[in-house]
This record gives sequence, C-alpha cells and structure tokens, in this order.
Amino acid sequence: MMFLKARRFSRTRTAAAGLAAVAMLATACGGSSAQSDANKATLVLPGPAGDFQINFNPFSPTSLEGAGTIFEPLFFFNNIRDVEPRPRLGKTFKWNADGTQLDIELRDDVKWADGEKFTAQDVAFTLDMITKNQAINGTGYKGTATAVDDTHVTVKFAEPSYMDGPQVLGRIYIVPEHKWKDFGTPATEPVKEPVGTGPFMLEEFKAQAFTLKANPGYWGGEPAVKKVRYISMSGNQATVDALKAGQIDWQTGPVPDIKNVEKNYPGYKAVTIPMNQVALFTCSNAALGCQGPQTDVAVRKAIYYGMNRTQLNALAFENTASEISPGAALLERDKDQISGKLKEKTAPMQPDTAKATQALEAAGYTKGGDGIYQKDGKPLALTLKVVAGWTDYITAVDTMTQQLQQVGIKITAQQLSWNEWSDARGRGNYELLIDSIYQGPAPDPFYNASYFFSTSNTAKVGETAQPNFARFSNPDVDAALAALKGIDPEDDAARQPYLDTIQTKIEESIPYIPILTGGTTSEYNAKKFTGWPTKEDLYAFPALWGRPDASEIIMKLKPAGQ
Amino acid sequence: MRYYARKFGFYLVALWAALTLNFFIPRLMPGNPVDILMAKLAQRGGTVDPSARRAYELMLGTNSSESLFQQYISYLGNMFRGDLGISVSAFPAPVSEVIAGALPWTLMLVGIATFLSFAFGIILGTFVGWRRGTWLDSLVPATTVLSAVPYFWLALLLVAVLSSAWGWFPLQGGYDILLSPGWNGEFIGSAIYYGTLPALTIVISSVGGWLLGMRNMMVSATSEDYVLTAQAKGLRDSRIMIKYAARNAVLPSVAGFAISLGFVVSGAVITEQVFSYPGIGSKLLQAVQNNDYALMQGVFLVITVAVLGANLVVDLLYAVIDPRTRVSG
Repeated sequence: MMFLKARRFSRTRTAAAGLAAVAMLATACGGSSAQSDANKATLVLPGPAGDFQINFNPFSPTSLEGAGTIFEPLFFFNNIRDVEPRPRLGKTFKWNADGTQLDIELRDDVKWADGEKFTAQDVAFTLDMITKNQAINGTGYKGTATAVDDTHVTVKFAEPSYMDGPQVLGRIYIVPEHKWKDFGTPATEPVKEPVGTGPFMLEEFKAQAFTLKANPGYWGGEPAVKKVRYISMSGNQATVDALKAGQIDWQTGPVPDIKNVEKNYPGYKAVTIPMNQVALFTCSNAALGCQGPQTDVAVRKAIYYGMNRTQLNALAFENTASEISPGAALLERDKDQISGKLKEKTAPMQPDTAKATQALEAAGYTKGGDGIYQKDGKPLALTLKVVAGWTDYITAVDTMTQQLQQVGIKITAQQLSWNEWSDARGRGNYELLIDSIYQGPAPDPFYNASYFFSTSNTAKVGETAQPNFARFSNPDVDAALAALKGIDPEDDAARQPYLDTIQTKIEESIPYIPILTGGTTSEYNAKKFTGWPTKEDLYAFPALWGRPDASEIIMKLKPAGQ
Repeated sequence: MRYYARKFGFYLVALWAALTLNFFIPRLMPGNPVDILMAKLAQRGGTVDPSARRAYELMLGTNSSESLFQQYISYLGNMFRGDLGISVSAFPAPVSEVIAGALPWTLMLVGIATFLSFAFGIILGTFVGWRRGTWLDSLVPATTVLSAVPYFWLALLLVAVLSSAWGWFPLQGGYDILLSPGWNGEFIGSAIYYGTLPALTIVISSVGGWLLGMRNMMVSATSEDYVLTAQAKGLRDSRIMIKYAARNAVLPSVAGFAISLGFVVSGAVITEQVFSYPGIGSKLLQAVQNNDYALMQGVFLVITVAVLGANLVVDLLYAVIDPRTRVSG
C-alpha cells in the first residue's frame, strides 16, 4: 500500500523529456559503491518522493510498508497463477457446504516480534476491529469471527460468501491484540513502532530512508535478505537513473528500450507479466443517462473490429502487451475458465473492416462524403479522454484515431488532468476513455467481472460509480455473479455455466472495448540476488508495489553466491 | 492614529476575502480525494475492492452531508482556532505538521536567494546606472535575457552542466538522504551544499529585474540638481554615487523587496519541482494533484498571511519614511 504516484510517474516519463535528457547524463556519473558483506544482503528499493510520512499501518492506503513484510495475512493467494494458496499464519482453511462458514486452522509456533505468542485471539480481534471500524474495512469484510481455541478461528457469514475468502484470508493483515487494543481510532493510527509476525521488522526510520531488518525469530526461518532499505526517489526518472547506476535492486515500471534491459543495465533482468486489460471504457448505458453514439452497441462493435492491435502494441506499448479475450478473463491465467461459447477466443489483432462496416450499416449508418459515417444527419464522431502525461496511452489513442478514421469513425482525443479525468470517469461524463481493468485478490475471472460489470457497482450518470464506469447492467450477469458466490470455487463444473453467461454477455455488449492485455514490467538485480520470479516460476506477481506479493519475493531472494 | 486603524481594518477585510477564496477555489476543482486515491491505488496495479471506497470516505471524512455553507462556517471557525485539519495526501498527518516540515526549507532557500538577488541587482544596478553609456550597459540586456529565458529551461541547463556533466552539485533533493535532519554540522553542511544550485538558478533568473529597476532609477537620480550640486562641491565620485544618487534611487526597490519577501513563503513551485526540493511549493503541487483541500487551504493561508503581512509592513514603514502618505489629499 504505497507509492501512490509510482505508476503515474511511469507514464509521465517522456513528458518530462527535457529532464530526462538531462538526467540521462547523470547516470554516467553515478558510481557503484564498494560492496561490503553487509551490503550484499541488503535489498535497496525505491520509495516515494520527498520526505516520508511515517505510517506503518497495514490498513491505511498511505502506508509506507508493512503489508506482508511486517504484518502477515493468513494465506498468500497468487493472483497471477492458478495455484493453491500458500499458508502464512494459517495452516488450512475449509468452507462449509453452503459457503457461510469458514474454519481456519492456524500455526501454533508463531511469536510476535516482541516475544508474545500469536493466537487465534489475535485473528478474531483483527477481524472484529475491522467490523467495528468501517474506515479500515477496505476489503468489504462482513463476517463474524470467533476464536474456538488457540489455533482455530471460525468466521460466519450471513450469506454464501465463497468469493470473500481470498479477501479475508489473503488481504487482511493480522495485528497483535495486545498492542492494537489501545488504539482509539485505528484508521488514523500511524503505528510508528510496528510489531508483527512477519519476516521483517522496522529497524530505522529517517525522513528520506527507512530500513527493515530480518526477523531472527521468524517462524519460517530468518530470511536470507538481511535488510531491506527504501530510499526516497523523486519520480520515475530518478528511479530509472538509480537503476542504471546500480543504486536500487528492483523497480516496476517501463524503462526506455525494454527489450534490451540486460544489455543497457548490466546485471539486471526484466520480466513482463500480462495483468491488466487495457480497454476503451464507454459510457454504454443510455438507460442510466449515457449520451453519445457509443451507447449503440453497433458503434462499439465497429470500434472493436476497426482497431489494428498489432500496430498499437508496436507503437504504443513497445510490444510488451499481448492478446486479450473479449470476455474479460485473462488468457493465460484463466485458460480453464475461458468460455468455449465465446464467438472469438481473442480479439482480432488485425482490423476487420468488413465486419466493422457491416455492423454500422446494419444499424442504419450511411457513409458521408468525407468518408465518415453518419446517422440522421449527425456524423459518427466521439471524444476520447486520456490523462495528460500518460504517454503510452496517448500514443495508443493517436494511433487508434487514425485507424478508426479509415473505418469511418471520427475520434477526437482530449487530454485531461488526472483529477478531471477521474471525475469524468466516475460520474460518467464521457463518451470514450482509455483505462485498464484490474484483477481481484485471487486467480479467478469472477473478480474483475464482479468489479466492472455488476449493477451494484454502478450509478446513474452524474453520481459516482466505482468501478463499473461503463454503467453496464445486465440481469443475467448479476444473477450469475450472485450464484457464483454460493458455489465452492473448487467445483469448476458447477461454476462454468455461470462464467459462460458472464463472458458471452460481455462479448455481446462490449461495454469496455478490449484493446490489449497490458504487461507490467519489472527490472531486478539478478547479479546481486537470486530467486526472482520468472515467467516459468511465477510464485508471486513480480511487481514492487504488489502487497503482499513483494514480501513473498523478498523472502525467497538469496544474495548471489550463497 | 486613524491612519493606522484604517490600515488594519483594510487588512482584516482583505484577510477575510482571501480566506473565503481559499475555501471556495479548491472546491471548484473537478474530482474528489477519495476517487483520486482509488484511481491511484488501482493504477498502481493494486486490487481495489469496490467496498474500499466507502471505507476511504469514512477514513478521510469526505462523506459529510453538511452543506457547503455549513462547511464554510466551520472552516472559518477552525482557521480562527488555528486548526488546519488533516491532510489527505499525507494521511494521517495534520496539515500544520506537513507545512511546518516544508516551510523552513522554502524560507531558507528562497529567502536567501531573494536577498542575494536583490543585493546583487542593486549593487550592479548602481554601477551600471552611474557609468551609463559605457560597456557596462551591456549588462542590462545580458541579465534581462537570463530573466526572459523560461526558468525551468535555465534550471535544467544548469543542472545538465553543473550537476550531470561536471558533478559539482547534487542533482536533486534537499539534503543527503542518509542523514537525519537535525541541528548538526554535517546535516547543515549537506543542506547548504544541496541548496546552492537551486538558489543560484533563482538568483540568475531574477537578478535582471532588480538590476534594470535600479539602473533606471540611478539614471534619473544622477540627472537631479542635488547630484550636480554635489559634483560642483567637488565631492568624491564614489561618495556622490552611493550617498546621493543610490540612496535616493533605491527607495522603490526597497518597497519591491519588502513585498517580494512576502512571496518568499509561496516558494518557487518550479524550482522545487526541478530539484525535488522538500519545500512548500512541492507540497502545494502534491495537494493539488490529490484534491487535498485541507493542505491547499493551509498552504494558501500561510502564503496569504505572509503577503498581507509584508504589505502591511511596507505600508507602515512608508508612513514613517514619507509623511505625505499619511495625510489624505
């Protein structure tokens, strides 16, 4: 839960071209320091810009660090590979038949960093505290927890809640009752001296650098990385410079010339993982107040077929993006859940002008003298909102404008400040905008479907929707999502019909016009540490900002040569 | 006495007007802090459960159903008590703490730079004005060009040459990040070292204005009769230049300097951005980017009070220096 600006700065990178040019020179001077033995086991990571505001509260959105490293969840859910959750504080968990009760067995050999014993009482206390303080309930937890004995906790839900499992088990960080019971308002508590069960402890906090040290009493054994130091980095360019100078060991975000990272940054390697689906969000639902030609599914379809995705990938994304499923599931991760009933397995990489034309003409559009389609005397023109400074998206939008011009659709790009753009997106005051669909806490297409396609997460135009910005509303999809909450996630056969319904309805309506699956690129120091996740062994999502994923990775790292 | 009462009354009204604008202008911005926070968490690739929105609304206290007018009244009350509220972007730190952390940096950097720029400008202007018509006159276009060059470009050029290419100065930051801020020689030395280049860029880009103003005043002062009289008396040139011409010519610049001291507090947003300097300007930018109303109001308040205060001091001083301003026509 940190680095709010990191991703955004990554997009502003080329916008600050002047600074970039200047700073490129700097990299030549950033010498590497002599490495003592202590330094060899110190992982140096880039932190946010400026003076740090001390905050190690794992429930705070502005927390500096702690989720996973200092405080642990019960289980680790790898949301990029369909594998069993890895036990952390928990040993096993089991649902009852209708998904209303969750029994968790805990480890009995865990101690808090101050020596007190960790028990089921701490888990029950943490869950209870979240219920009592809705301000820290970022996961939407709605259960009632009871500690049965020292190592068993039971969580009861009012309704079938299989799908809440990964949030409760994997995203709620357990805190010690003996410390936290005195906090009056846990939401505003900065937790200056965090005491957790995790593999690391806070060693030292300075205004622009803080250090975690390995916890010698960690139940899983003391980690090989002895220290993790975060240093203040002023934005993405400084981070890239520091990477070049070998001053930091890991960063997530694009660097110039991604393909040649190993050549340009000796000792470093890069890994790109497809994660978020880049799409043209459309304000699609006229019944909820959306206006514009994009409320017509034929127009959305024409745009879907009019794009040249191969060209977009090359020009805007340095070929780090990959194909996308029109049903909003991830092609690789969700391959077993992707519906066989979809008309197309992947969105076409080449434009299909015939299909685009056919869709428009069937809907009553006729081609005007300027080559742009029109209906009732109004040309088929749309505005597309993009955040100023997001250079990859801006390039994509410019390219797309030209591609769609050939199909007979006129797109006008509009660059907005972040604030204005997010306001327009939330309130539905847009025709098209470019953004991405993000994933849930577990490897399951249910989550992004329930976030972005459920009626309960949308609102009328003018009111804030979160995050069903397209204002998509379909009773069949809502019913399927509700039904999935009551089916054991292990029971693939029972779930598939509902997943089929969701995906085919999404393909039919295209409220978010799929572009490509965006890759998240991370660069890491392979010369100094071994054990980084690779495409073949993706034991955790390899992004620096992943919580608790980063803690899984730091625990696995070993100084090279050991 | 009536003069002073009227002045204070005027400044009170000005302060109230500024406070009111400080309240309403940030709220005209599109967006709200919760959605910005959600969007940023999501953009970073994190999983943002829709229910987090409700939690963050509660946490940041943005779900109040109070009307804008009620908010305004309680805002004025809070300002009166000196309670600036909680910053959203540096949550859960209070605004006063955020500003207190940033203000000394800006005051030192921009304050010293403004003073140096003023001093250089006045001294150079005195000489150039005194020796008008000589080669020294070329200093006027030379420094004005430096003022006219967009500041960020000049700053980046200096960074490229002095920091990147020659390595004389650090690229960015306020001090060596491995040191703990405190009143010790090592830290202060580091702060001075890191502050030199930003200060230099401010001086270079603003010295032209002072120089031009002073030079022109010198030119008109030297054509005054009393200068001629002084020369006729056979006084030394340097004495005439400093005691007679410069002393009279500097008056408007002193007033300008006092006012520019008020603006020192508002910092140099661009300077602080280019050098990632931990001052008030970068906090203001952070507040704007995050719809952090409380922090924006706090920063604006500090700026307003400083500018009004500087103006008040100038007004009062002028009344002392020049009795004509005290009596109404």
